[in-house]
Amino acid sequence: MARNKWVQLTILAVIIAAGAFTIGANLSKTPAPKVGETAPNFSLYGLDGAAYELNDFIGHPVVLNFWGSFCEPCVREMPLLQKKYEKYRDQGLVVLGVNLDESTVTINNFIRGMNITFPILLDKNVVRKQYGVYNYPTTFFIDEKGVIRQEIVGEMNEGSLPSHDIEKAIKRLLSG
Amino acid sequence: MLTNTKCECGHQNPVGTVLCEACGLPVQQEVAESDGLLEMRYEGAARRSQKSNPKLLDRIWNFFSSVKVAVYLIIITLLLSILGTLLPQVNVVPSYDPASYYAEEYGKLGELYYSLGLADTFGSWWYKGLVLMIAASLIICSLDRIIPLYKALKKQQPVKHETFLKRQKVLYIGEVADAESWLKEAEEAIRERRYQVTREGTSLLGEKNRFSRWGPYINHVGLIILLAALLTRGLPGWYMEQGFSVNEGQTVSIPGTNYYLKNLKFTEVKEVGPHVSGQELQFAFETDAILYRCVADCNNPFAEPQLEEVLQHKIRPNEPLKYDGYSIYQIDYAFSPQATIMTLNVLRDGQPIGELVLNLTDPAPAYQLGDVSVELTGYYPELTSVDGVPATKSRLPNNPAFILDMTLADGTTEQYFVVPFQQYQTRISGAEDSEPLTFEIGGMEASFYSSYLMVKVERALPYVLAGALIFLFGVVIGLYWQHRRIWVRIDGSRLIVAAHTNKNWYGLRDELAKILDKTGIEIDAKSLDNSGVGKS
Repeated sequence: MARNKWVQLTILAVIIAAGAFTIGANLSKTPAPKVGETAPNFSLYGLDGAAYELNDFIGHPVVLNFWGSFCEPCVREMPLLQKKYEKYRDQGLVVLGVNLDESTVTINNFIRGMNITFPILLDKNVVRKQYGVYNYPTTFFIDEKGVIRQEIVGEMNEGSLPSHDIEKAIKRLLSG
Repeated sequence: MLTNTKCECGHQNPVGTVLCEACGLPVQQEVAESDGLLEMRYEGAARRSQKSNPKLLDRIWNFFSSVKVAVYLIIITLLLSILGTLLPQVNVVPSYDPASYYAEEYGKLGELYYSLGLADTFGSWWYKGLVLMIAASLIICSLDRIIPLYKALKKQQPVKHETFLKRQKVLYIGEVADAESWLKEAEEAIRERRYQVTREGTSLLGEKNRFSRWGPYINHVGLIILLAALLTRGLPGWYMEQGFSVNEGQTVSIPGTNYYLKNLKFTEVKEVGPHVSGQELQFAFETDAILYRCVADCNNPFAEPQLEEVLQHKIRPNEPLKYDGYSIYQIDYAFSPQATIMTLNVLRDGQPIGELVLNLTDPAPAYQLGDVSVELTGYYPELTSVDGVPATKSRLPNNPAFILDMTLADGTTEQYFVVPFQQYQTRISGAEDSEPLTFEIGGMEASFYSSYLMVKVERALPYVLAGALIFLFGVVIGLYWQHRRIWVRIDGSRLIVAAHTNKNWYGLRDELAKILDKTGIEIDAKSLDNSGVGKS
């Protein structure tokens, strides 16, 4: 009967492997990252021609902002982002502005007019979908370990609305 | 509990045997003690894995080996599938935030539906788990039954115990004068009806169409192939379904692939059809498309991807573009006229100095017009103003505005702000004393239709079809043929004839009556029915 036992074991093993595979493949399908989860890695070209990869910034707190010049609240919060970038750059803060599929001419003109100096990344709706961003602006605050600590949807401010307070969010990120 | 499974004929049967493997005498106590018809399922053989002392492996095996468990699994899956059809599933919900969509559209019920995970029933891990358990049950149930059944049918002996024969559903008991000559006649008559006959002493076994018994197992094999094929949808690259849109004249990257597609032209095909009113009826719509393969610079925003033409095809409903396992279907279209390329004639003192060809989706930053170099430093696709500053309302070129820096032949620079649709232009900087350049729309290219396409990959399809065909084959041989057996036993002058079939008992009785008729026993087919045995 030893032969039967091996046949049984093999069949059960194949079934369990198939189960683990399909269910595993199912569970690893993450539609959009949530707060507390690791920020999915991506690589994009910047407006400056350099290639940027999110994982290159592990060890730094990152503010990941999705914006477009056609989006008024995005435009309004830009100076604030620039201000915070200048203020906390020395403490290792990285600000990345992911542009929402605009022409380089449009972006360059906008950046020049606003005196933006943090890196602007060019996305053709790939990273936007990866991050499940459907309302603009949306900003992710990612800690040194690459974990999303906070997500702010809508225009950020300083001090007036606590849920959208960029200063508070950055402080939280820097304090670890 | 240990039961004695040794039959009185001397044959040692495995645990779980109902009818002795050799002579057919009931060995299971309850069956032996009753006197009703015998249950002939699996020939009364023991299910393969039944053991007197099961271990963990045996317990798992036995769980899946139970038909009762299989039925429960199927019922549970059925009920969950029904629930999964009550509300639209997430993949067809027109919202990117399904949680709130269900709450808004269907209220409390929708909220509950979503939180229970029923909104994605057929893609969920538990549904796939259930399907897999059904597959396991199919495999194990079949193996545990087909092997003993095969063995039992293979080593059949013509000599059966009287009790076995008397408890069959079709029975004739009578007398014969000369056993030998009657048997000869009977053997001939049975053979004539295409039975295979084995004889041992004064016992006889006739059998035909045994393969019909394999029908259910063949259709199980088909089902297992079908289920396995469906599970491959989880393998990367085996299954994909993605919609995308492409405007006329536009070339887009096909999502999830290394291919690009250009929409040369979209046509609504209108024909006067065989309609009684003779009205113009729309019959089809088609996208004249070119498929490209990207060979380099596929994800580089600073370089145009290098494309290699693969083929050109007119995509119509049910006439997809097929290549490399991908099928691109026409699913919808929209009439949405949009400017794509604008040509501006640049004039100095009424004399043209050249034309600027501006791609309105992604314009190039620099141009050369004779001895004038032009730099496009600003582009607002849909001009608006926010706090007195020019801005864009959207990414669509509904009212494009340009900031143009011109470097003239003599080295002087001028900057212009041009809004062609409004015939507005202003010189922001430059020599005040010279006459400004003028910009006029020289030409426009537009796309009128947006074509909505769907790219599909379904690599498992041939396996699904193979599974379905095997399934049908099993059904056919199980349904249209019957496994019939006739046993004859003569003790002295007493004749017992019993018969068994897996279906169509009427046909079997009729056939047996005809056989007996040939041997000189005239009997009404109905009277061969032994169903009343044991019932008083």
